[in-house]
Amino acid sequence: MAQAISEQKRPAAGFSFRLTDLFWILGAIALLIGAVGMLDRLRFGLAPAAIGSYVPWGLWVGFYDYLVWLEVGSLLLFSGLVYIAHNESLAKIKPLVLFTGFVVLLMALILVAMDLGHFERFWHVYVYADFGSMITWMVWLHTAYLILLSMELFLALRGTGKGLLKTLGIISLPLGLMLILVSGSIFGVVAARPLWNTSSLPLMFFISALAAGASLLLLIVTLFWKDTKSDEFAQLTQLLARIAGWLLLGGTFIAGVIAFTILYQGGGNLQRAAALQLILSGPFWWSFWIVHILLGVAVPVVIYFAFYKSRWLLMIGAALASITFVAVTLNIVIPTLVTEELTGLAAAYHHQKLSVDYVPNLNEWLVVTFVFGFGGVLYGLGLRFLPVLPKDTQANEE
Amino acid sequence: MTEQEKLTPQSTASEGVSRREFLGALAVAGAVAAFEQLAANPQAVLAAYEEQIVQGTLAQSSADLKALDVLERMRIELLRALQKPVGERRWVMVIDLRKCIGCHACTIGCVAENKLPPGVVYRPVIEEEFGTYPNVARRFIPRPCMQCENPPCVPVCPVRATYTNAEGIVEMDYERCIGCRYCLTACPYSARVSDFGFTYTEEIPVIQGLLGTQTADDYERAPNFEYGKEYARQGRNSPVGNARKCHFCQHRILEGVLPACVTTCIGRATFFGDANDPDSLVAELIASPNVLRLREELGTEPRVYYLK
Repeated sequence: MAQAISEQKRPAAGFSFRLTDLFWILGAIALLIGAVGMLDRLRFGLAPAAIGSYVPWGLWVGFYDYLVWLEVGSLLLFSGLVYIAHNESLAKIKPLVLFTGFVVLLMALILVAMDLGHFERFWHVYVYADFGSMITWMVWLHTAYLILLSMELFLALRGTGKGLLKTLGIISLPLGLMLILVSGSIFGVVAARPLWNTSSLPLMFFISALAAGASLLLLIVTLFWKDTKSDEFAQLTQLLARIAGWLLLGGTFIAGVIAFTILYQGGGNLQRAAALQLILSGPFWWSFWIVHILLGVAVPVVIYFAFYKSRWLLMIGAALASITFVAVTLNIVIPTLVTEELTGLAAAYHHQKLSVDYVPNLNEWLVVTFVFGFGGVLYGLGLRFLPVLPKDTQANEE
Repeated sequence: MTEQEKLTPQSTASEGVSRREFLGALAVAGAVAAFEQLAANPQAVLAAYEEQIVQGTLAQSSADLKALDVLERMRIELLRALQKPVGERRWVMVIDLRKCIGCHACTIGCVAENKLPPGVVYRPVIEEEFGTYPNVARRFIPRPCMQCENPPCVPVCPVRATYTNAEGIVEMDYERCIGCRYCLTACPYSARVSDFGFTYTEEIPVIQGLLGTQTADDYERAPNFEYGKEYARQGRNSPVGNARKCHFCQHRILEGVLPACVTTCIGRATFFGDANDPDSLVAELIASPNVLRLREELGTEPRVYYLK
């Protein structure tokens, strides 16, 4: 009997490749490539990055907000559907969704830590907190969210404490909502940057996070659901596709109305209009029109509403929407900052860090690659060694 | 009538005296009075004023000071202000755009005083060219920190590393700052910069005994004295990685010395003093009808005034 148990626990001989192993394999490659930039970042601080004093935030902050949108948006929608709408189908992949959110959250925190001039002092935000600052709120809420999510994940992986898990899930709804609104308010309260300084920005963050999160949920379902021929799968994917589609359309419509009012002749602030024009027709116009509007909205929406019965097309649409949302956060962060506050200032004193010409450089991309590599490795190893996938789904991936 | 008088349109025979002659006479009379009062020795008068300040016998009204060079006057007024309780001082800076010639001496003076590394500048001078040929002109706008009464950079700091002190100067606590640069985005004047850790000597070749970082960087490794503390430039220690900004040379003010940008201004275009002192030069200047402040519409209430 003892021998039988021993044999049962013994790992299978050799290495059996699963498709999910691609996560950690590709992640490890990205980790190695990105390590070059990460080492430079750790050795020389922020000097190798392209950000400067007049464009103090750039690629990393843009990616941070993007990851927050994915993480909080997907978990908000998931908790809402499971705990409020009582969607039983989605509840089956709870550990997987929680684990995905957990990994994305860690990636976001590492990336934003790298953006600090003194990241070794991050604890100052807890000890010397000023709750008049939106960043303080963001750090505290993100910490609370990390703790909550860790507890949820722990319980979900153990399969115990369902009552507590539900309570935590319900608590995560207002917490997530506050986190996403605060992350938008970080920009919204800055009166010096007219394009940010609107009450609609936190709300746009909320809608965008839900849209990005819905697409991420759809991607997870289409990637990992076992019985893709079942009615349950069809109903779940159709539901998520509709939610994601309407959020994409609604968000785009609201953004369009806001843009119209900003650009309307004689009705706006010139600095705000200039920053918006930079998004729409500046050197990186393609990142908005092609990456976001075409690939991130138009194509996914067509798929979500017209081709929702095709798992592969849904997967492509969800992947496109999830990935290309980074163009939105980058377009929120960068064009506003590269619009000079005082004309001629950048020419007044010459240095690479006193310029308003910002294009993310190799160092910044390498650090992002490192963080995504870290996320890939963690996710891949989690899929292999943690019971995050439903057992039958896991077997299917082998 | 001399050739000069023929060319002077302001000459008025009916009044019997030209504008030039009148102004000349006025200047001579003023100079004579000044010389009488100063005993032809401004240094002695300055010392006498300092003595009176120390003894607390200096009269509140200081009409005599107007005869002094503005730097000497401002220094005496600074010493007088320092006699007051901290909370009763209101430091302001006034920059006369008509006098600024764009020499950047203030920028360099500030860099030298605060040992600013590459990429860090507290007082750049913006050059503006306007008009259409042949009617064109240039204007130079020095841009220190505005030391706003309602500073947008302060409330956004998550760790209270920046604050307005009792004298109205917006200060930084380098040891507390985490380097998030939120204050940089919040300042509507881009008056805050980040110290990315560059040094002037890092790229120079090493020639034993002549050049090289060990030989040449003694100067830039020497500490600055911002906020009354010593900040030697070593490794990644603060202020590297921090937000930095102009502080009106507070460390000099407290020693009774004017800010470096004021003393290095060759055109006497920058003025500094206590606006709460009604007899001060800055109080006179900011009551001018041609005074303006940058981006006033934001409600930041800058303490830097420009004369246009």
